Amino acid sequence: MHIPDGFLSAPVWLSLDAAGLSLVGYLARQAQRESGEAWAPRLGVLGAFVFAAQMINFPVGVGTSGHLVGSALLALVLGPAAAAVVMTAILALQALIFQDGGVLALGANVVNMALAGVLAGYLPFRWWGAGRFRQFAIFLGGFFSVLAAALLAIAELRLSGVPIPAPVLWITLGLFTVTATLEGIITVAVVRGLDRLGLGLAPQPGARYARGLAVVGLACALLAVLGGLAASRHPDVLEKLLERLGLATSRGSQ
Amino acid sequence: MHHAVVDRWSSGHSLLHARDGRVKVLVCLGFLAAVATTPRLTALYAAGYGLAALAAVMVARLPLGALLVRAAVVLPFSGTFALVSLLAGDSPRAVALLAKSYLSAVAVLILVGSTPLPTILRSLERLRAPRLVVLVVQFLYRYLFVLTEEVLRMKQARDCRRVRRAPMKEEWRLLGSMLGTLLLRSFERAERMYQAMLSRGYVGEFPVFAPRRFSWRDLAFLCGLVVIVAATFRWS
Repeated sequence: MHIPDGFLSAPVWLSLDAAGLSLVGYLARQAQRESGEAWAPRLGVLGAFVFAAQMINFPVGVGTSGHLVGSALLALVLGPAAAAVVMTAILALQALIFQDGGVLALGANVVNMALAGVLAGYLPFRWWGAGRFRQFAIFLGGFFSVLAAALLAIAELRLSGVPIPAPVLWITLGLFTVTATLEGIITVAVVRGLDRLGLGLAPQPGARYARGLAVVGLACALLAVLGGLAASRHPDVLEKLLERLGLATSRGSQ
Repeated sequence: MHHAVVDRWSSGHSLLHARDGRVKVLVCLGFLAAVATTPRLTALYAAGYGLAALAAVMVARLPLGALLVRAAVVLPFSGTFALVSLLAGDSPRAVALLAKSYLSAVAVLILVGSTPLPTILRSLERLRAPRLVVLVVQFLYRYLFVLTEEVLRMKQARDCRRVRRAPMKEEWRLLGSMLGTLLLRSFERAERMYQAMLSRGYVGEFPVFAPRRFSWRDLAFLCGLVVIVAATFRWS
């Protein structure tokens, strides 16, 4: 779900641009310091791979088909930091050339798919990827990468005051659960394909990232909870929160 | 191919094409921010933004119809949410969602239609975007079409060998193998490419033909727009 421009309120897109883009900038500088620019072509080609792979539809049954999203797969193949950089590049290109997702909303989409999606896709594999549950961990990665991105997108829309009545919300969540399950299955299928070709997955990253990953995870969870609160009771919870902090201007001028 | 359309537009010549990339990026961001933060998108505002965009299209001599059609790709998404807003009894928001997302898409298309992507990316880098991300976007865009054609060839090969759909399990195995092979080929291609680029003198910069300096015309363009915008907000 790529959020276009014109949907998010100014506090939401401004703060997500600031947080998401500066975090990706930090990750990019880290990755560049570690591996140099020789990585750029490989990362770029993998981004192009995700684009191209989205053209292969797979059967779902009842006449419909789906396609790969890719953040979990990238996280498994490249490790989370590089995967976040590649996903950001994909989202930037989609926003600029294909009008898929907004330019001001890039930060929001980056947080949803390049940070939270990659993280959710990576963590199960990191925790359980070595043992008997490897395939299940990979499936969970694909599943949660899509679901986390969708939940965050819905939370951000709610925080911006876009009305999503309960029935619509449940239908949307149901559809995303289906998509997420498919993403899990397809991620497993591709990793099996890679196994058959004798390719390994990403090496485990150092412990340095652990704290950063935890911070991103917590921040995203907080955002989702805020959105959940907005969804349930207070349609303008963010404005109330800002008012309480003494930051907001008058109400009604979002 | 389909996407090369924007590349053809951006290789044209006009007053807008000739402006400095950084100025155009900043003006586009300013326009987007103005549209996004307009509290109530009245007909007057919408007309004003529309006229500004129309003027830019005219100056850049972009094909208006094609551009409007291309920008319409945002409409299914915003249309869905607009419909929900309408049903929830919030018709001003429904109109605002549709108009704002469409105007924003038009503005971004004018930017990429009047500025080649390498120039935009170089401008972003000079505006402090992380270098690695900018480089990755460069490579991504260059190899997008190559890999897309690779996928089309693989699909054709699959469809030639398979008369009808295999059982579900077999289909999934096939899909995994296709994507795995594509990934492997992408890796190999990346290595070959990088060696080839190094051997041709690549030092981490994509050459931009006819590099330009920030001229007084760019400054005048920027100042003029700032004055117009300030006047609009003062007057409204």
